Amino acid sequence: MAPSLTSTLGDTGKRPVLNAGNISASAMMAPALILVGVFILIPAAVAVIGSFFDFGMTSATWTFVGGANYRRAVTDPLFWLAISNNIFIVIGSVVSQVGGGAILAAILDRGIRRGSVVYRTIIFMPVVISSIAVAFVWMLILDPNVGPLNAIVKTLGLSPPRLGWLGDPAISLWMLLLIAAWQNVGFQMMLILAGLQAIPKEHYEAASLDGARGLKAFWYITLPGIRNVLVLATLITVIGGFKVFDLVFVTTGGGPANATQVLGTYTYTQAFSFGNMGYANAMAVVLLVTAALLGWLQVRLSRRA
Amino acid sequence: MQFHLNGEVRLVASALLGAAVLVSPVHAEDIVLKMWTLDNSGYKEFIAEAAEAFKATHPNVTIEHQIFPGDPYKTALKVALVGSDGPDVFFNWSGDRAKQLVKDKLALDITDFGNAPGGFAKVLPEGWLDAFRYDGRLYGVAADAVSKYVFYDKAYFAEHKFEIPKTLGELGNLCKAIRKIDPNTVPMPLGNKTRWKAIHWMTMLNERAMGVAGTAADYDLSRPADQLYTDPGYAKAFQALVDLQDAGCFEDAPNATEYAIADSMFATKASPMEYCGTWCTSGLDAAGFTDYGFFRLPLMDGGKGSFDANFLVPEGYQVSAKSAHPKEAVEWLSFLVSDEQGLKFAEKVQFLPSNAKLVDKAQGVPASFKDIARDVGTLKQGVNVLDALLESTVADAYMNATVEVLNRTLTPDQAVGKIREAALAAQAKK
Repeated sequence: MAPSLTSTLGDTGKRPVLNAGNISASAMMAPALILVGVFILIPAAVAVIGSFFDFGMTSATWTFVGGANYRRAVTDPLFWLAISNNIFIVIGSVVSQVGGGAILAAILDRGIRRGSVVYRTIIFMPVVISSIAVAFVWMLILDPNVGPLNAIVKTLGLSPPRLGWLGDPAISLWMLLLIAAWQNVGFQMMLILAGLQAIPKEHYEAASLDGARGLKAFWYITLPGIRNVLVLATLITVIGGFKVFDLVFVTTGGGPANATQVLGTYTYTQAFSFGNMGYANAMAVVLLVTAALLGWLQVRLSRRA
Repeated sequence: MQFHLNGEVRLVASALLGAAVLVSPVHAEDIVLKMWTLDNSGYKEFIAEAAEAFKATHPNVTIEHQIFPGDPYKTALKVALVGSDGPDVFFNWSGDRAKQLVKDKLALDITDFGNAPGGFAKVLPEGWLDAFRYDGRLYGVAADAVSKYVFYDKAYFAEHKFEIPKTLGELGNLCKAIRKIDPNTVPMPLGNKTRWKAIHWMTMLNERAMGVAGTAADYDLSRPADQLYTDPGYAKAFQALVDLQDAGCFEDAPNATEYAIADSMFATKASPMEYCGTWCTSGLDAAGFTDYGFFRLPLMDGGKGSFDANFLVPEGYQVSAKSAHPKEAVEWLSFLVSDEQGLKFAEKVQFLPSNAKLVDKAQGVPASFKDIARDVGTLKQGVNVLDALLESTVADAYMNATVEVLNRTLTPDQAVGKIREAALAAQAKK
């Protein structure tokens, strides 16, 4: 047993607070904690403080405005548009990515006997491509003048959207969902597939003897078996949906005319285009609190999983 | 083998050594000037060669040049200037962006350095100095200006016996005639996905509708609130854009088309016209397309604009207020706008230099470049671009309104209403 380095409080019957093991664990965690502190906690604290001030990106003076930036957000229609677009992306992503991932995982687990590794690799491939590269490739695909999608639609005798796939406010957000799903569905598929493959085959055999097959087996064995994985996949997608920035920034820049503005891009616009750093900080704090709450939920649920 | 120096030889050697020490120049402190510019074609080579030439008079000064693409540059520059490791000298557009840096005390007042012997203020005409003059003081050095013209395919025009339009109405008719020949030909692709292409159109359409004087008080928000952006000319300018769109001038989805696609449509002769900047000549040259002409944007029927006015955006360099070597920084900038470097700038970058004294001697530039330089020289009034000139939230509202007019989700009047709303908010904050 390692000797205690400080008073161990042994007399009081409580557990020692500091011993060699604790010290070495702390030492090992220190670099990570320092990095988290420097790059996450301190900037987050500065953002919270900055949200109560009015200042420009290049201005030397900060004027205290109390909660004015938060009040401004409440009355800013673009802030609410950005939030509603985020919620649209969150819901759409859960359906397309988690739902699509579950279907693909089920097909690969049960439906395809040969070549499943090849399919799995192909579907997973977009996950490892950078979002920026994905955005640029899709911009070319969706281009109304030289993009192949328009050509395919015309070949089928249909009319492509008059304002373009990314230029029509009614369609552009759906296109972003499509691109995000194309890129991320492989990740969700792998996650759910791992959950499916962890369910012992004996359970299905036993259920089969009891007459539970097909939908019943899915409802009573598969779903409970992957419940925790599904919750985790959903949370990852929800957090991703709230944090989305790069894909929107590159493909539409929040346009046409703010139609695809999300909290991330709107915060960026306020900060770097308009120089409203205080207001941008307030919106960043809203995003931070949302992400922190969801992150906390994720940690809790993943512990259970 | 050993060498033995006798007394005289030793004496001479010592004297020579002593003399060498005495006559060798006392090296001044080594200075590194950090310079940031855009990544325009030819810029890197131009600065590298100029930095080498500058060493002849400033052997202790080294130029460390970094280039950036346009949009990221705007953000990176602000961050760097606020930080402790920013550039000493940097590229900037004249207008609201430069003014903001002056206001925030991040750009240095270089009036005195500029007026020193050999300084840029002794070389550049007053008109060019105005580009970076605020409250009578100089905060930058104009290096070049970009202009815009309607470029056209000469062979196509000759084949179909088309003439250069004199009014916007004639331009619309020309578009209709081109569509009649082949409905799939886009007469003049717009490529407004990143919003700045159409704002360039609006810059000139506003001038064609109201003239420069008619808009100045709205642009700088000095007009009384009840009159701000109330001139019907603004809606008329939007209507002119709509009329051109209705005449089939632009592609079907201009707000979804990248500007690079629009540029390549003209460069590959898929389209016979494009409203393009003077920076387009080098791209056309590189694509092997040289048989093109250009004309200024035609006048508006019944408009107050002048054919002597054209799009002209001065660009240049500013010095960081945090630079440890402001004197050397201004000397470097003055060197960059000297007669000789003006010529080299024209040759390498193919932009219109602020010092165009020797531009006629430029070699290796397309013939059109010299023609354009000559045409710019005849302008009586430059029209600065709205997205650089207007306060940033008003500029953003203008760009979004233009997108919506092209998408037909706003009428011209509604679009002006949105711009007025943004202008009033910006004026109240001023």
